Amino acid sequence: MAEQTTTPNSTMKKGPFRKIRAEMERYKTLSKQDQRRYVTDMLFNNAMYIIIVLAIIFIAIRVPSFVSLSSIVNIISLTASRLPIALGVAGCIVLAGTDISAGRAVGLAACIAGSLLTTANKIFPGMGVQPLPLVILIVVAVGALIGFVNGFCMAKFKLHPYIVTLSTQLILYGTILLYLKMGENNGQTLSSLSEGYRNLVAGTLFTIGTVAVPRYVLYAIILAAIMWVIWNKTTLGKNMFAVGSNEEAANVSGVNVMRTIILVFVMAGIMYSITGFFEGARIASINGNTGFNYEADAIAACVIGGVSFVGGIGKISGIITGVLLLQIIFTGLNFLSVDQNILYIIKGLVILVACAIDMRKYLVRK
Amino acid sequence: MSNNPNVLLRMEGITKSFPGVKALDGVSLTVRAGTVHALMGENGAGKSTLMKCLFGVYSKDGGHIYLEGKEINFKNSKDALENGVAMVHQELNQALKRNVMDNIWLGRYPMNGPFVSETKMYQDTVAVFDDLGIHVEPTTIMSTMPVSQRQMVEIAKAVSYNSKIIVFDEPTSSLTEEEVEHLFRIINMLRDRGCGIIYISHKMDEILRISDDITVMRDGTWVATEPVANMTMDKIIKLMVGRELTNRFPPKENVVSKEVSLSVRGLTGMYSALRDVSFDAHKGEILGLAGLDGSGRTETLETIFGAATKKSGTVTLNGKDTPNRTTKEAVANGYALLTEERRATGIFGILSILENTVISSLKNYLQGGFLNQRKMEESTDWAISAMRIKTPSQSTQIRSLSGGNQQKVILGRWLLTNPEVLLLDEPTRGIDVGAKYEIYQLIIDLAKQGKTVLMVSSEMPELLGVCDRILVMSGGRLAGEVSAKTATQEEIMTLAAKYV
Amino acid sequence: MNVKKVLALLLSLCMALSLAACGGGGGDAASGGDDSGSKPAGEVSIFYYTFNDTYLSSVRSAMDSALAAAGVNFNNYDGNNIQTTQTDSIDTAIAKGASILAVNLVDTGSNDAAQNIVDKAKAQNIPVVFFNRSVEESVVSSYDNCAFVGTDYTQAGKMQGDMIGQYLVENYDAVDLNGDGVISYVMFKGDEANQEAIYRTQYGQENADAVLTAAGKPALKFYDETNTNRYLVDQNGAWSAQAATDYMQTILSQYSEANNNMVELVIANNDEMALGAIAALQNAGYNSDGKTVIPVFGVDATDAARAAIDNGSMIGTIKQDAEGMANAIVTIITNFQNGNDKFDGIDPSYLEGTWRVNIPYSVYTGE
Repeated sequence: MAEQTTTPNSTMKKGPFRKIRAEMERYKTLSKQDQRRYVTDMLFNNAMYIIIVLAIIFIAIRVPSFVSLSSIVNIISLTASRLPIALGVAGCIVLAGTDISAGRAVGLAACIAGSLLTTANKIFPGMGVQPLPLVILIVVAVGALIGFVNGFCMAKFKLHPYIVTLSTQLILYGTILLYLKMGENNGQTLSSLSEGYRNLVAGTLFTIGTVAVPRYVLYAIILAAIMWVIWNKTTLGKNMFAVGSNEEAANVSGVNVMRTIILVFVMAGIMYSITGFFEGARIASINGNTGFNYEADAIAACVIGGVSFVGGIGKISGIITGVLLLQIIFTGLNFLSVDQNILYIIKGLVILVACAIDMRKYLVRK
Repeated sequence: MSNNPNVLLRMEGITKSFPGVKALDGVSLTVRAGTVHALMGENGAGKSTLMKCLFGVYSKDGGHIYLEGKEINFKNSKDALENGVAMVHQELNQALKRNVMDNIWLGRYPMNGPFVSETKMYQDTVAVFDDLGIHVEPTTIMSTMPVSQRQMVEIAKAVSYNSKIIVFDEPTSSLTEEEVEHLFRIINMLRDRGCGIIYISHKMDEILRISDDITVMRDGTWVATEPVANMTMDKIIKLMVGRELTNRFPPKENVVSKEVSLSVRGLTGMYSALRDVSFDAHKGEILGLAGLDGSGRTETLETIFGAATKKSGTVTLNGKDTPNRTTKEAVANGYALLTEERRATGIFGILSILENTVISSLKNYLQGGFLNQRKMEESTDWAISAMRIKTPSQSTQIRSLSGGNQQKVILGRWLLTNPEVLLLDEPTRGIDVGAKYEIYQLIIDLAKQGKTVLMVSSEMPELLGVCDRILVMSGGRLAGEVSAKTATQEEIMTLAAKYV
Repeated sequence: MNVKKVLALLLSLCMALSLAACGGGGGDAASGGDDSGSKPAGEVSIFYYTFNDTYLSSVRSAMDSALAAAGVNFNNYDGNNIQTTQTDSIDTAIAKGASILAVNLVDTGSNDAAQNIVDKAKAQNIPVVFFNRSVEESVVSSYDNCAFVGTDYTQAGKMQGDMIGQYLVENYDAVDLNGDGVISYVMFKGDEANQEAIYRTQYGQENADAVLTAAGKPALKFYDETNTNRYLVDQNGAWSAQAATDYMQTILSQYSEANNNMVELVIANNDEMALGAIAALQNAGYNSDGKTVIPVFGVDATDAARAAIDNGSMIGTIKQDAEGMANAIVTIITNFQNGNDKFDGIDPSYLEGTWRVNIPYSVYTGE
């Protein structure tokens, strides 16, 4: 991974092959016993990737069409649809916090987008389809505001993120229900979304053979790239990790801790609202349930991907891996026609085992 | 004096009150350019509060602070740092999961447009380290480095601000002798460059060696400021304690029995560097463990106690095999471990004296599945009187006690489990001079009762003054054994360097 | 005073104001008029299993206006899909002096929750009207002043199945895309543990099969033969569009016209899931203008579903008569208030025994 140069002596001479060769040299100098430990450490450190590969092989043997082109595109696009919310919530986890208001924020953003981009507007009767850039701006602003409230309450009143987002989650839910009651809508599902909106998000990016890749895959990639840059290349990113790792140290080093926390949550809020904007167009039917429980999968994916609840640890590549692993398992179980009831149990076990393996990396043995 | 161009920092009549306590009462401190100014006083004398007022962590109630003749009033540490006042904190405040250079430039990353420039950060770090003669790879993750190296990074960070005033708060508590020498070279260099250094420490010999002026505080008030030439160790102690301290060590009244109690053979650690350690300890004996930081002293205690995993070797107590696979088993077998970092792994800060006292012996108070409050109170009373703990009540939070009294509570906790072997890791670290004497007395009393005491300490005079024999460790192995009655510090140092 | 204190004060002020505002608003909405009945004042307390259900939102709107028109003083409660929450608010309402309880039960899995509510009401002699979510006869019959207004919850599934069967018989060759003579279908279930979902899932397919076999056609075939459940369920039990979209998207990655195994029929337990499936189909190039339409069927006849049926992207749904249900409940409430027989003024053909009223469903395939 290029985002964190961890091995000493290798930073100045970059290049993947040189690194691998250096590791090989080092391996040869180790004793038999240390070699064995080196190998087990390697296996555990890359456990997520190994699990993914094993899962794919296993499912593909049982149902070969699992690795067909269209299936792969399907998994990638489902992963892309869940990635933005995970990217947002990951920042909160790096701060040693969490955000359980994420799902409802997605819901509110979807409702707002749907209400402004429908051809049969019942929330604002008589209002036509609004220009897309304006709607995107409004949705992002609402997300940022939600994030700001979360971050501000946390930083200013020193409240635990769980408490703050538990409260805002309820407030958001009430707001969604009220919003859907506005005008002539009467709490009904929002639909008849404009073609332009649906096309912008779910339209075809390009086709491979006969398989269409939806546009939001590209958007998810762009968002991931932006987040990678913010996390690794900007002061905000560095400060976020420092605050998550040791808030007091950041404080005495002159980092504006409050601003960092607020900005990370604002960033997260924007990610949720973008998720909501995408989901609205993707599912094309928006109601009070939209976004419900989204944060659960997003948080699980982050933790599976090595974003530690201890704070200060996490990589964008890990988050993508986590979302992908969850998606492969869910889609795979679907392909395997696993009994629906068993699915819950498998889901729970996957999260538990993946986190236990990941946590092992950070254990200090005595 | 106020117009002396040499004066860098002048704090005048600083007053600070907390509800019910006057923490600082008209304290003054003047630091001249190109000097090291030692700030001394027992814990609670107000040294930290004074520094916090300087850095704006606390807002002072009264008084003035002048930096180079201009009155200043820092709002926070960022403000202080930007104005050339930096501090090396005693409790390392570092982002452990991040690497060295991220920590050094935290809060002021070099930018390349909107992005942080990793390359510049790396080069700047190397430049600072080269200047100070520190050999640490800037991309190492902090948590993978020993405490002493992290301490050096913290020092480099303070220097990198190009500060005029640098405060060192107990900088040597986790450094080896060699690293202390290195630190002193750095301090001398800074002094030659015209910096003003404020040096806070409990270690008299260091103070007398490195400082130019000494200010002593007691109970939130200024007591004296003198050039170091006018001071002696006894004089400083007298000023700090407020009375004459005739003996630093109590008389050694314990009798070492011929009977071997603890016998360790071939002790080797699974994950630590500990290799093939063998020794015997007798009833009524105080056995010292000397050596540099990282030489395996702490690991020896932890491995005996089952807090660290043993690869091979045997531990027997009175002829009975006590493998101590877990700490629970060790306690049942009659072992007790007083850990090195009292605040992190010794006390339960927000819990009361009573809860801290009975935590290791709860099963003694069980009655029909419930804990008997009266019995616990009796035991706590016993511990308070036997350990001579100064506390307003049993329900006081332990964190409000002084370090010495906290340590006595932990000793009392262990004595309630009725141990035969006491493993004490740095039992007097961070404890006032006066209180140290009482801890020594308690240790000798325990030996008098026939207990076996293993005591790790970095302070050699303490080992020579309290122990009967001293084992010297080096590089995870036993380097030799000396008698406390005849050995000298030089002898121990030579042994400690044997396998380095 | 520092900033924090000011903020805290402002916050608490906000809270107090919003509470006051809510109280005032609620009073406005509920102050229907004077009490013309024989019973003393005391509001009618109505408990919805959740405010977040499209169909029940319609019922709620209809009830609100019907009650206001009848001049009844009432208050609505949100159970938030948690039985404990609902039972707690019932306790509160009784303590407050509720005159009648109208309960849309959360927990339909056992009789306990319903019986518990009946017992509480009986002790205070307060009439109870259960509605929408099913309550067993034994519970309702245990108290004279108790009634149930619902639907025959097997009926929606049966009607949906009949509708599907008829549609297929009429359009068999067009629907059978690969011309193998068998229609392959997918069934989306709303909630694994919900009675209505279970019956809709069962009868939606069974009745369709019955119509098909009667017309000499083969029975439906579940698209994935290895799936012995023969349905896909929303893991969150939320009957959500998103679950259906994701399932449908995954299905379409494996089954297509090109592979000659395209899913030829979509049956959903409710309109949300039907619309979710349609979104995935549209993303894959189906069910919009000029494209192949895979027939999709739902239940509820929500506004969105009706719009979809009108524009041709959906075929049919089953209409639950929200207004009919609301009117029946309000009729029973006023009967209780005026001391009349509880079922006075209700169409006798809707009555089942002396305990329940069944509001009939109707088929909706466009206007």
